[in-house]
Amino acid sequence: MIQLKNLTKVFEINKNNKVTAIKDVNLNIKKGELVVLKGSSGSGKSTILSLLAGLSKPTTGEVIINNDRVSKLPDNFAALFRREKIGFIFQKYNLIPTLSVRENILMPLIPDNPSNEKVETLLNSVMKRFKIEHKKEAMVKNLSGGEQQRVAIARSQVNNPNIIVADEPTANLDKDLSLHFIDILKELKNENKTIVVATHDPLFFELDFVDRVIEVRNGELV
Amino acid sequence: MNNKINLYLIEFAINSLLRQKLKNSFILIIFTFLTFLISSVFFVSNSIKHELNTTLKTLPDITIQKLKAGRHHNINTEIVDDLINIAGVEDAVARVWGFYFFENAGVNFSIIGIDEFENQYKDSINKITKENDFSKLLDSSSMIVGEGVKKILDENYYKEYFNFIKPDGTFKRVNLAGVFKSSLNLEANDTILMPKELAQEIFQLEEDKATDIVVKVANPEEILTIASKIKLMYPDSRVITNKDLEISYQNIFDYKSGLFLSLFVISLFTFFIIVYDKISGLSSEEKKEIGILKALGWKIEDVLKEKFYESFIISFLGFVFGLLSALTFVYIFNAPLLSNIFTGYSQLKTDFSLPFIMDFNTIFLVFFITVPVYIAATIIPSWRASTIETDKVLR
Repeated sequence: MIQLKNLTKVFEINKNNKVTAIKDVNLNIKKGELVVLKGSSGSGKSTILSLLAGLSKPTTGEVIINNDRVSKLPDNFAALFRREKIGFIFQKYNLIPTLSVRENILMPLIPDNPSNEKVETLLNSVMKRFKIEHKKEAMVKNLSGGEQQRVAIARSQVNNPNIIVADEPTANLDKDLSLHFIDILKELKNENKTIVVATHDPLFFELDFVDRVIEVRNGELV
Repeated sequence: MNNKINLYLIEFAINSLLRQKLKNSFILIIFTFLTFLISSVFFVSNSIKHELNTTLKTLPDITIQKLKAGRHHNINTEIVDDLINIAGVEDAVARVWGFYFFENAGVNFSIIGIDEFENQYKDSINKITKENDFSKLLDSSSMIVGEGVKKILDENYYKEYFNFIKPDGTFKRVNLAGVFKSSLNLEANDTILMPKELAQEIFQLEEDKATDIVVKVANPEEILTIASKIKLMYPDSRVITNKDLEISYQNIFDYKSGLFLSLFVISLFTFFIIVYDKISGLSSEEKKEIGILKALGWKIEDVLKEKFYESFIISFLGFVFGLLSALTFVYIFNAPLLSNIFTGYSQLKTDFSLPFIMDFNTIFLVFFITVPVYIAATIIPSWRASTIETDKVLR
């Protein structure tokens, strides 16, 4: 389902300074698989996720998802692809703090201009599922870290994507909230969603429902 | 493709504006103020230009003044018959007019003497002459006044008459017989009409003397030729054509327009500084927000549409508020301070109201130099930010 072929990403800091974030990465992920990418900070995990989600283009190589060459898609098609196929959970949640919970979760739906009924059904369903409906009108900046993460997860699921990409999802959470996130992940895995998590949190490495743990070191898969 | 208006996008844009209340309120206030200033300058300028153009249309074809020691002096009315005999001259009228400074109010009145058996050189005066019996006014020693004069007299407790002080220091009591309205505010508001004999008495002019003589020419093409003939006949006189008067009026107007132009340029300059500030870049927060939206699947055009709504809402509101404030300021409050630049000698004139001129070209001009410029200044940096690789913006 997901194929990363000879993927290399070089960041150009300036004319004389280039950094190779990942080098010649090859990876196949099957539908419904949960893959954990582990590695220290700066190892290239986030870059792999970013390329997989079409947030950036590889310097060489390609990303193929369900036979779509995502890395070759023009910007607008890549956006459409993300909207329909990918649910991204960011390390720092990337919520808009001065908007309400409802408005944050609504954001991925806005460009499609759906009907009111559809919006309300989708919003209520994800808010209920991730236990955040009681904070519907609260400003995100006034929520706790755990609540903010539930909003981020709800937002990533409102379009019901098949692929979930999570970048250091427990980096800002205490142990209890991290375990709660792992429960959510398990639920999503049980729904046959394809999940890729980049983390250096050891909690993920021994989970029985994780299919593969792959180490990323200096931009290469070990 | 969904062609319905995306109300969620508009709601997002409004919320986006409300999120930065302080900053956006400041922009709205500045925008309103600039639109107000630019529109006010245009409105006042248009109204006065209209007033001026209407005044120019009523100017006599040729005016003859007597000069003595290089200064304007009273002219002998006997030459009127000679003037009428010049081929091409339709009519010649000896005018008795002048200014009277009313010290208590600190204003100048314009007194015009009327002979009801003569053709008047202005249509507006002709109309008033027909509506009033000036021989009766002479018998009862009465006058009719413009609305501005009436207001000043009322304020100074001259409800039924006014005592003019003649050059020899004696008083002349003149009764108030009526008030006339004129389409020309700038010209008629300070005017007093009275029988010619009464005006001569107040100015202490001899019976065969007048202030000047105005000549009506049948064919406008011949004005210059006839003016040259008159100059040859009376070399000691100053012969002024309507074109000369028009030029001097226009010069004053253009000079004062220059002052308005400076105000206009300052307003526009301030506006463009704001625009430049906006166009020169977005804050890191704004860039990050665009990155988040794109990561969530917004296309560049979705981001730009949202930014369009944001900038349109704020600039259009600023434009409407500014325009309404300018209309109120100019046409209800009579543009205090601004109109004085044009009228200039406000201390010596009675009040006048700016005529309401709704010039849609001006409104469109103000709209096009403000709203689209601001929208472009908002959209261009957003477009730049949204074309940067999403990953780079979020990092």
